[in-house]
Amino acid sequence: MTPNFKRPIAGAHYTSDTRNYPWHRPPDITDYDGAVEYMINLINDTEKTEMVFAMLKIEAHIATVVSTLLLQVIAKGKIPIDLAILIAGPLARYVEIISEDVGITTEMGVDNKNRMVITPTLLRSALGIVEEDEAPEQEDLMMAPPAEAPMGLMAPPNPDVAPPDEQAAMLGDVPVEEEPEDVV
Amino acid sequence: MKFEKAVQKSIKEFLAGRMPEKMMEMSEGELQYTPEYFDEMQENYSSTEVVNPEEMETADDA
Repeated sequence: MTPNFKRPIAGAHYTSDTRNYPWHRPPDITDYDGAVEYMINLINDTEKTEMVFAMLKIEAHIATVVSTLLLQVIAKGKIPIDLAILIAGPLARYVEIISEDVGITTEMGVDNKNRMVITPTLLRSALGIVEEDEAPEQEDLMMAPPAEAPMGLMAPPNPDVAPPDEQAAMLGDVPVEEEPEDVV
Repeated sequence: MKFEKAVQKSIKEFLAGRMPEKMMEMSEGELQYTPEYFDEMQENYSSTEVVNPEEMETADDA
């Protein structure tokens, strides 16, 4: 059995530089109000505002927009991940307010399991629409006499089954008369 | 839990008017950006009438 040399040596993690990424270093902002203020100022920047409104115009949820913005600042090491999650609510509210102000219809994108599912039946009952016309029609169909079977040559086959004699005759099973054996 | 799910949960809690309790305890003073703050902000935004730029131009001409 050959030893596997394609692995880190013991203690390699002590020698690697853990400060390679911004989120490995201490974050710039650590307080709640400071982080919200920083993010609001960031959103108020012209380029970011355009991006936010563009995303909302293509019917992106506010939660998606907020998580995108937060991931950007986490990647830069400005805000730690846990604080970013805590300030998601205020940011979503701010984005909702400014988008309403410019007349963009938004959706928060937060699933609510307790909400009532809107169905056509529920909507009809809520609006007081009673379908009186549909039920009698169904009753009429049930009570209507059966239509007469078509009689033409190209008509579909009659569901009534032919009697056994007629079936045998159609199949060629006709009784043959026995001829006398000795014919002189 | 994925980051997006955590963000959604946080937003849901904030919209329900709840703030993180432990963070409130740890903060020295009162927090500024509370649900009430954004409610007031929304009222201020809705109370300010948006003036159409074309209307402003005609008003200037007159």
